[in-house]
Amino acid sequence: MSLRMRILLSIVVMIVVAVISRPLMYSGDPHVEVAAEALFQITPGIPFTNSLLMMLVVDVFLIGLALLVTRKMQDVPRGLQNVMEVILEAFYNIFRNISPKFVDRAFPLVATIFLYVLVSNWSGLIPGATSIGGCVPKYPEYNNEYTTCAPGYALIPFGRPPSTDLNFTLALGLISFGFFQYWGFKTLGLSYLSKFFNLNGIMSFVGIIEFISEIMKPIALALRLFGNIFAGEVLIAIIIFLVPLIVPMPIYVFEIFIGFIQAVVFALLTMAFLSIATTSHDHDDEHHGEAKGHAH
Amino acid sequence: MEALGLNPWLFLAQLLNFGVVVGLLWYLLYKPVLKMLNSRTERIEQSLKDAEQVKLQLANAKRDYDAEIAKARQEAAKIVAQAQERAKSQESEIIAQARREADKVRDEARVSAVQERDALLREAKGKIAELVTLTASQVLASELKSRGHDKLIAESLAALDRRN
Repeated sequence: MSLRMRILLSIVVMIVVAVISRPLMYSGDPHVEVAAEALFQITPGIPFTNSLLMMLVVDVFLIGLALLVTRKMQDVPRGLQNVMEVILEAFYNIFRNISPKFVDRAFPLVATIFLYVLVSNWSGLIPGATSIGGCVPKYPEYNNEYTTCAPGYALIPFGRPPSTDLNFTLALGLISFGFFQYWGFKTLGLSYLSKFFNLNGIMSFVGIIEFISEIMKPIALALRLFGNIFAGEVLIAIIIFLVPLIVPMPIYVFEIFIGFIQAVVFALLTMAFLSIATTSHDHDDEHHGEAKGHAH
Repeated sequence: MEALGLNPWLFLAQLLNFGVVVGLLWYLLYKPVLKMLNSRTERIEQSLKDAEQVKLQLANAKRDYDAEIAKARQEAAKIVAQAQERAKSQESEIIAQARREADKVRDEARVSAVQERDALLREAKGKIAELVTLTASQVLASELKSRGHDKLIAESLAALDRRN
C-alpha cells in the first residue's frame, strides 16, 4: 500500500471514529459558566471556588518548580535548571530592551505575571482538570440526565483555570496598573499628571482621552486574558460535545499556543505600560538620549 | 457582578495570593537564577578578557621573538660580513706576505744563482787562465824545443779533450 493510500485511509478511519464517538460518548450539554463555581462556602458570602482551588494548585506547582530548579544549581546548567534559565534570561533581555532603566525592579513582577498566567492558562488543558467534579446544589428545576447528580444538583468541575475567573484577571490587571502608576509617579513626580490634565489647547482634550485610556488599561488587560482563555475553554467544551474524539486535538494544540501568547502579551504590555508611564512627554530629548545610549 | 462571579473577597484573595507568589518566586527562583546568570556572565566576560590578554601577550611574545630573531639574523649577518672582510684582508695580507716571501726567495735564489755563476765564471776563468797559461807555457816550451806549431796545437787539443 502506498504512503498516500495509508494517509487517506488513516483520515477516513479518524473521521469514522470521530463520527461514531458522538453518540457513544455523549455526556450531556457542555458546561459553560462565566462565574467560577463555589465548591463550598468558607463563611456565608465567601465561597471557595474551583478557580481558587486551581489557583492553589498553580501556586504549589510554581513554588515546587522553583525549588526543583534551584535545589542543586550548577555552573553548567542541565535539565530543568537549563530550561528555566533560558526562559528567564530571554524574558530578562526582552524586558531590558523595553525599559532598560526599570528592568531589575520590574522583572520579579512581570516574570511572575508571565509564569503565573502561562501555568494558569495551561492548567485548564490538563485532562480531567476541568471535567472531574462533584454534585452541588443548583436550582430545583435543574436536571441533567447524563450525570449521576440528583435533580436540582449540578455536576461542577473541581478545577477551573484561574484565568477564566474575572477576580483573578482583574486582580492581575490592577496589580499591573498599580505597578506602572507607582513608578510613573515616582519617576516623574506630579508632572506625571500633566500627561492627562493640562491647559495646552487641544492637548488638554487629548489628555482627557489619555486619562480614559489609562483607566481602561487594567480592565482591557483583565478582559483580554479572561476572554481569550474562557473562549478557549468554551470552544474545547463545545468541540468535545460535538465530536469527542480526534477533532479536539488540534484545538488543544491551538489553546496551548493561545495560552502562551496571552501570558506573553500580559507580561509585555505591563512592561510597555511601565515604559510609557515613566517617560515624560516634556523630556522627549532625554528619552531619545537614553535610547541612543543603550543602542551603543 | 454576581453573574460575572465578581466577589470582593475572592478578588482580595487573588491579590494577596499573587503578591505572596511574587515574593516567593523572587526569593526562591529569580534571585538565585539571576545571581547564577550574572556570575556566569561575569566569569565568561573575565575569561574573554583573560583570553584577550593572553592573545595580546602571545602577540607581544611573538613580536619580541621575531624581533630577537631578526636582531640575531642581523648580528649573524654582520658577524659573517666582518669575518668575510677579515678573511679577505687576511687573505690579501697572506698573499702579499707570500708574494713578499716568494720575491725574497726568488731574489735570494737570483743572488745565489748570480753568485754561483760568478763563482763558476771565476772558476772557469781560472781554469781557462790555467789552460791558457798551460798552453802558452807548452807553446813556449815547444818553440823553445823547436817543435812545430801544428804538433803543439794538436797536443793541446788532445789534452783538452782528455780533461773534458
